[in-house]
Amino acid sequence: MDKPLISLTNIEKKYQIGTAVSTVLKQISLTVHQGDMLAIVGASGSGKSTLMNIIGLLDKADAGEYRLQGRHVADLSNDEQAFVRNQQIGFVFQQFNLLPRFNAAQNVGLPLTYRRMLPAVATQKTDEALARVGMQSFRAHRPGELSGGQQQRVAIARALVGEPQVILADEPTGALDSSTGKDIMKLFLTLHDEGRTIILITHDEQIAALCKRRITLADGQIVSESHQ
Amino acid sequence: MTLASHCQQALLNLMAAKLRSFLAVLGILVGTAAVVALISCGQLATEKALAQFKALGTDLLAISVYQQATGNSHTGQNTIAINRWRQLPEIVPAIAQIAPYSTAYQPISFRGKTLTGAIIGADEALAKIVHIDLQAGHFVSFVDSFEHFCVIGAGLAHQLQQMSLDVPIGKQLRIGQSLYTIIGVAKPWKENGFFNEDINQAVIIPLAGMALVSKEVKINNAVLLLKSDSHIDGVIEQIKQFIANEAPKLSVFVRSAKQIIASMESQGQIFTLLLAVIGGISLLVGGIGIMNVMLVSVSERKKEIGIRKAVGAKNHEIQTLFLVESAMLSLLGGLLGVLLGLALTWVIAWFSQWPFKIYLLPPLAGFAISVTTGLFFGFYPARRAARLEPMVSLRAGI
Repeated sequence: MDKPLISLTNIEKKYQIGTAVSTVLKQISLTVHQGDMLAIVGASGSGKSTLMNIIGLLDKADAGEYRLQGRHVADLSNDEQAFVRNQQIGFVFQQFNLLPRFNAAQNVGLPLTYRRMLPAVATQKTDEALARVGMQSFRAHRPGELSGGQQQRVAIARALVGEPQVILADEPTGALDSSTGKDIMKLFLTLHDEGRTIILITHDEQIAALCKRRITLADGQIVSESHQ
Repeated sequence: MTLASHCQQALLNLMAAKLRSFLAVLGILVGTAAVVALISCGQLATEKALAQFKALGTDLLAISVYQQATGNSHTGQNTIAINRWRQLPEIVPAIAQIAPYSTAYQPISFRGKTLTGAIIGADEALAKIVHIDLQAGHFVSFVDSFEHFCVIGAGLAHQLQQMSLDVPIGKQLRIGQSLYTIIGVAKPWKENGFFNEDINQAVIIPLAGMALVSKEVKINNAVLLLKSDSHIDGVIEQIKQFIANEAPKLSVFVRSAKQIIASMESQGQIFTLLLAVIGGISLLVGGIGIMNVMLVSVSERKKEIGIRKAVGAKNHEIQTLFLVESAMLSLLGGLLGVLLGLALTWVIAWFSQWPFKIYLLPPLAGFAISVTTGLFFGFYPARRAARLEPMVSLRAGI
C-alpha cells in the first residue's frame, strides 16, 4: 500500500472548563489514503468535530502524532499551518460560512487571494470551480440571494478552487432539507469518483452509508470501523 | 496577498458599514482640520505682527537715554548735545544714518481751539528712517533750526481741515507761547512696533528749536539706520561706550529691530506650537474614535476572521487587512481635514483681516499626523484580530 495521506497516531485532546478537565479524544489512530472517502459518524459530543478540526489544523492535539503526506504538521508555526490549510486542505462547513458581503465569485476566490497569483489566473480558476458545482451563472450573487443548497455549492467550490489534497466537510448537509442534502452528497460522490480525498462528518446514517469507509466515534474513541 | 487586493477588500468592508466608517472619518477630519487651521492661523498671526516691524526694514536701532536714578556723582554731563549725536556715525562707522529726536507735551491750539498731539523735534533724517512721506509741502530741515516751522501728521491735518475747511499749509499753530507755520502735511503713517511715537497725531518742529518750546527738553532719543550686515551686538557696544564717555550719568537703552523680530519669531513659534498641541489633542480623540470603530469591527467580524484563517490567511495578513482599513479611514479623514482646515483658515483670516496664504507645513504635518494616528490606533485592533484562534473565531456568530 502507498504512503498514507493522513496518519494520526494516539491523538489526544483535552478541554479544561474551570477545574474540570474533560478528555474529548482518547488515543485516536487513523490513516487516510489518497482517494479515500471517509465518513466519521457519532453522536453529538462524541468528539468528531474536534477530530476534524485537528485534521484541518484549526486546532491542536495535546498528545499524539499527526502526519500529512508524511510530514509532521502539528508542530508547525501558525503561519506554516496557514500555508498548509491554504494549499492542502479545503473546508466545507455545516453553516456554509460564506462572507455575506462578498459575491459568490469573491467567496470562491478567497483562498486564492492568499496565494501570489495573477488576477486573471485566479478568475479563471474561480470560474472553473463555480462551473464544477453548477453555479457559474450565480457568480455575482451574494450569499443572501442564494438558497441553502446553492450556498453550500458555492462553499464546496471554495474548497475545490485551490486544488487541495483533502476536503474536510463538517455536517455539509446538516443545514439542508433532505432532497437538497442528497444533491450535495451526489456532488461529493462525483468529486470522489474524480479521485479526490474527502473526509465527511455526519450523524446521519443514510449519508454515512454512501461513503466507502466509515468510522464511528463514541466518547472520544473509535468504536468501530467498516469498509463497503 | 497583494496590497491592491488588501485595499480592495478593505474598501468593500468599509463600504458595507458606511455610517460607522463615516463617523470614524469624521473624528479624524475634525482633528486634522483643527491642527491645520490652528497652525496656519498661528503662523498668519505671527506674520502679521512681524510685518509691522519689518515694514521699516530690519537694520534699525532705537536708542533712549535717561537719567540714572542713583547718579550721585556730579561730575560729567547728563545730556548729549545735538552735534555730538550727529557725529556718532563718524565714531561708529556701521551707522548709515542717525535721527536724534526729542518729544515734548505742550498745549497745541489752532484759532483758540486746543488740539491733542505730541511735539516731536526732528529733522529730515527721521522722515527717511521711519518713512514719513508728505502729501504736501516739505519736511522741517536741519537748516531751519530755529525757524518757527512745523510739519503736521495726517490725523492732526484732518482735525484742522474740519475746523477751517482749508488747506493747512501756511496756517499757524500755537505751541506754548509761540506760533508755528505749517510747512508740510504728512501722509497717513502706518503705526509700527519699533518707533513708538504716533506721527499721525504729531507736530514735528526743527530739532534745535525744541529748546524754544521748553527748556527742560533734552535730546534723549535717536533712531539709527545701520549699514546692512552690521554686527549688531558690536554696534550696540560701541554706542554704549560713546554715551558712557559723553555723559557718564546717563543710562542707555538700545532696541534692535532684528533682535525684536527674532524674539517675536520665537514667541510666535511657541504660540504656534501651543496651538498645534491643542489641535493634536483633538486629533488624538479622532484616533481613539478610529480605534473604537475598528475594535467593534473586529468583534463583529470574528467569524470572517475565522473563515479567512481556515482558507489560509496568515496572522500578518489578517493584521494588514485591518490596518489597511484604518489607514484608509485616516487617509480620507486626513485629506478632507486638510481641505476643511485650509477653508477655516481662510475664513478666520478674512474676519481678522490677515493676508491669507497657504503654508506648506500645516497641511503636510496635519496629513502625516492623521495617517500616523490612524495607523497607531488601528494597530491594536488589527493585532487583536490577527491573534484570534481560528476555532474560536469560527464558532462566533456572524
